[in-house]
Amino acid sequence: MKKLFAAIDVGSYELGMKIFELGGKTGIKEIDHVRHRIDLGDDTFHEGMISFRLMDELCEILKGFVEIMEGYHIEKYQAYGTSAIRETVNTNVVLDQIRLRTGLEVRVLSNSEQRFFEYKAVALRGEQFEQFIEKGTAFIDIGGGSTQVSLFDQGHLISSVNLHLGILRIRDKISALEPNYSRYEGYVTELVNNELHTFKRIYLSNYRIENVIVVDDYISPVVNQIARENGVEDVTAEMYQRHLNEVTKKAPMGLARSLGIPEENASLFMPAAIIVSRILSGTGAKRLWFPGVSLADGIAYDFAERNKYVASSHDFEKDILSAAENLAKRYCCSDTISGELVNASLSIFDGTRKIHGLTKRERLLLHLSARLRDVGKFVTLSSPAEVSYAIIMGTEIIGLSHAERKVVATVVKNSYPNNISYDEFAEQDFESRDYRAAVKLAAILRVATGLARSTHREYRNIKSAIKGRELLITVDTDDQLLLEKGLFFERSDTFEEVFGLKPVLKVKGGRA
Amino acid sequence: MKIGRSQSGKRKKEIDFFNPAYYTNRELSWMLFNERILGEARDKNLPLMERLKFLSITASNLDEFFMVRVASLKDAIHSGSRKPDLAGMIPSEQLKRLTEATHDFVQSQYQTYNRVLLPLMNKNGIHLIKKHKDLTYAQGEYVDRYFQESVYPVLTPMAVDSSRPFPLIRNRSLNLGALIKGEEDGPEFAMVQVPSGLPRVLSIPEEGEEGTTLILLEEVIERNIHKLFLNYKVITSGAFRVMRNADFTVEDDEDTDLLLEIEKQVRKRQWGRAIRLEAREGMDKRLLSLLVKELKTEADDLYFINGPLDLTVLMKIASLPGFDHLRRPPFQPQVPKYMDPEEDIFAQIRDHDILLHHPYETFEPVVSFIQQAASDEQTLAIKQTLYRVSGNSPIIAALAEAAENGKQVTVLVELMARFDERNNILWARRLEQAGCHVIYGLKGLKVHSKITLVVRQEEEGIRRYVHLGTGNYNDSTAKIYTDIGFFTCSDPYGEDATAVFNMLSGYSEPEVWNRLSVAPLWLKDRFLYLIHRETGNAKTGREARIIAKMNSLNDRDIIAALYEASAAGVKVDLIVRGICCLRVGIPGVSENITVRSIVGNYLEHARIFYFYNEGKEELYCGSADWMPRNLERRVEILFPVEKRNLMDDLIHILNVQLNDNEKASILTPEGRYVRVRKSPGEEAMRAQDEFVREAKENARKKEEMLNDRVFTPEKGLV
Repeated sequence: MKKLFAAIDVGSYELGMKIFELGGKTGIKEIDHVRHRIDLGDDTFHEGMISFRLMDELCEILKGFVEIMEGYHIEKYQAYGTSAIRETVNTNVVLDQIRLRTGLEVRVLSNSEQRFFEYKAVALRGEQFEQFIEKGTAFIDIGGGSTQVSLFDQGHLISSVNLHLGILRIRDKISALEPNYSRYEGYVTELVNNELHTFKRIYLSNYRIENVIVVDDYISPVVNQIARENGVEDVTAEMYQRHLNEVTKKAPMGLARSLGIPEENASLFMPAAIIVSRILSGTGAKRLWFPGVSLADGIAYDFAERNKYVASSHDFEKDILSAAENLAKRYCCSDTISGELVNASLSIFDGTRKIHGLTKRERLLLHLSARLRDVGKFVTLSSPAEVSYAIIMGTEIIGLSHAERKVVATVVKNSYPNNISYDEFAEQDFESRDYRAAVKLAAILRVATGLARSTHREYRNIKSAIKGRELLITVDTDDQLLLEKGLFFERSDTFEEVFGLKPVLKVKGGRA
Repeated sequence: MKIGRSQSGKRKKEIDFFNPAYYTNRELSWMLFNERILGEARDKNLPLMERLKFLSITASNLDEFFMVRVASLKDAIHSGSRKPDLAGMIPSEQLKRLTEATHDFVQSQYQTYNRVLLPLMNKNGIHLIKKHKDLTYAQGEYVDRYFQESVYPVLTPMAVDSSRPFPLIRNRSLNLGALIKGEEDGPEFAMVQVPSGLPRVLSIPEEGEEGTTLILLEEVIERNIHKLFLNYKVITSGAFRVMRNADFTVEDDEDTDLLLEIEKQVRKRQWGRAIRLEAREGMDKRLLSLLVKELKTEADDLYFINGPLDLTVLMKIASLPGFDHLRRPPFQPQVPKYMDPEEDIFAQIRDHDILLHHPYETFEPVVSFIQQAASDEQTLAIKQTLYRVSGNSPIIAALAEAAENGKQVTVLVELMARFDERNNILWARRLEQAGCHVIYGLKGLKVHSKITLVVRQEEEGIRRYVHLGTGNYNDSTAKIYTDIGFFTCSDPYGEDATAVFNMLSGYSEPEVWNRLSVAPLWLKDRFLYLIHRETGNAKTGREARIIAKMNSLNDRDIIAALYEASAAGVKVDLIVRGICCLRVGIPGVSENITVRSIVGNYLEHARIFYFYNEGKEELYCGSADWMPRNLERRVEILFPVEKRNLMDDLIHILNVQLNDNEKASILTPEGRYVRVRKSPGEEAMRAQDEFVREAKENARKKEEMLNDRVFTPEKGLV
């Protein structure tokens, strides 16, 4: 029997629930989709918190969702809140209210997690996605509060940036100006252009963008309809501009009529259409793809993948790593040092597997910490720990949760000689598992940094093995590693405290 | 709007297809429809009882027409509206023309009754006593006893004097008015309502005549009226009937509980403004003028009736036991062509899409679809829209049972189905008690669509079974209305059906519809698109054709599009049962359009639409007529039928109707309807009879096939 799963998205302008059937030949099949327009974002973005009135409506609709789930006898579901819930000052109260009144457990997604889900849903479409991102591709994920632009090249993620260009935000900003419809489009365009200007200068200067992938709720169905009517699979930029430039000049009612969409959607359709249009002209991209996925699809794909209902051909960890490499490059980190640091850390991690009890995912976090450790040195050499921490916390890495990002930043910060501070770990408000992982990873990274001190070192191999009460780290190199040996012990205190093992450095093949 | 070049190559004068001169007023067109029904009552080829039924139908139609349409016109006039209709007539003009037409019509009704049907009834042994004075002594005694025992206890006589105001007279009620005189006082008005709870027709002992003798209840009461006003002398008495304004709209107020509001309005309807007063011909002038004065009746609204008031009573007479030789032989709806009653209904739908043609094919599968789902273990949910259901509906029972069995049952109940509200409220409450999720209509929109969705959890996953129809889920009317039903479990329909119910439950409409077009969202645009596509094809010299069958056609945009199509050369054949505001034969505008109307034994109710589409024919069925109210103010569904064999069946239905040369009337350029004339040598074709024959034939073949599977032992083996 196939499994039914419900994915609930408490978005900033819409509540949505999709019911999926998982398993069998089809893998994931959408069975039902209900949506309800509710501008939670209006309250959050304007007033800072969700009003009592909307709270009521929110719970009523979610209760309706629960009834639908019961109708399908659904046991597994995942419910997530995005920016409107995340940014409201009373997030926990809101979640508690929902739990009490509907029985639903809603989790709050960080922006990067949310985008990752959506990205995952697209990536799991397989071939078309892989084919697109072989060439420079901008992946535009348009939300109510913000828009995420991720750049891909040669099959991997390069960077991702969050622009404050949410369609709800744009609509509200513009309506505050009370423009008549003839000037509406002009205002939106100007607003979008301003935001895109900096982005283009920093991120787009090194890449040629040929393709654009768009994830959104409003233009996708319309564009796909146009594509169907024209008998084409992909939409060209020219076709997009031709069809949509005309309609965005219309007042909402006319727009709704000419596109066959509900009038309530028309006011959000236009900002989305203009964002895409501006990105197309800014990048000169030629091909477009609207996979028509939503957060709910992403939630389902994530669940299905974790529970082995579908297998992914795309390596998402590689994306995270390649994005981290690009970040390191942007901050001029040494390839050799960060490379050796990664090798050394992972070798220690692997050698202590029996005793550290950490997961593969935490190995990835260690990998990232090693790669990004020196980003702060780009700004200051005197106190890089704090700056690295700030840069990592301020940079979105698609695929990492907020908590994971915090682990990486804290591990990096505490990898510097005098910085191990349990107080600091405590202040981070980690869940206890994350706390333990962060401390252990920091201990490993501290030892590993002792091995990667110079840009001239070349290690053929680093091996770690537990021998009695010692962790034997054997480095195969022609160097004598005098510096490393001399400073090694000062990094090993924490390691001893955490693991109860004393790290010992051995050089194999050295000339001394 | 413009049209292309004429054949001569010269540019024709631009034609405004919206020109009011090209349209017929809808009310006058409706009167023509009622006249066509009256035509059936006059049809010598029909058995007497059927003719009585048709006459009765014209009467109940006219009542509803008055309460709704005439009342609206009067409202419009009272509010000072001078807004012209699509034919360019302002309300007062319309009312004037309509009043003339109605008076003429009532004349025709009673002429038909008195000159044709009454003599025929007598000839066939059905004797209706015209006046109580005609009773024999024995009959009189019988009647008086009946009055004393059964009628008198339920009567509430009312008299008017200075201390008692003129009583409120119930809408559509039949009453006896009288002038009574006490010993000292002058004549006073008194009245008594003929109780609607008692049979209007009473069978009394025959006096030497063969057959059945009948008398109407009002005659029984009038004969005994003096017993109601003891100590008074009844100077004169006579029957009268009042019609009131009934077209109300539910206030769209957030705080109003829709259910309560409708209950309130139903009660209020009794006391709407009087818009028609019917009085027996020969009523005493004093009595009449008193009624006219008290009911504030305008001269035009007074109807003198030469015969029994409220001819709907003829339906009762037509249903008298016996007299089967005066009726059409009864027809039992047949086993549907595409179904096997022995087999599991879900398995059959999985195997193939199914088309049902009611009432020729039985409605039973639709009922058992819901009944089976209700007790089926794999069923998770049943969702249905209900507009008008029968009094003791097996569907309601099945839905309630399903909810009791733990299925999720969602029912959208349209409370505003006109004149059915009271009935609807009752069973809606019953469903709620059983645990169904009942949605009471949508604010501002009537839900007229007919759709059922059954969601099952099967071995291969979730599967959705959908029934779509052109008629209501009413097992009683399904025996007399011609309708199309359609079963499928194909995914695109299932997804759309789910989306329809999500939308009706208050969720947003889906991003895309796969197959269904839903009013009031984009159905009208869809129809316009389909018509324009044919126009485009015709303009480029390709073959183009539209056949559309519906109940009414009065949407201005659609008519203009049809004119444009006709002008471009599209051949358009319309089969419109009732109102048709389109005019045929206007040079350069509608020369390529034909309109025919079929009025027969069954009420034509199916909506079928055919578009040639350059040979890639498209066929649709649905719940919507081409009327603004269907396309703009109701939730309606249009669905395509895509399997070739079913498309052929629909085309066959349309063709048979287009070839009907017995019951079809054709609209003439002068705006009249004339019966189709058979060409010499042409075979008679009565569409409804043909469908009966075919349904029987199909059922017989099916039976034979089943019998063929039985092994018959050779004789003589013993």
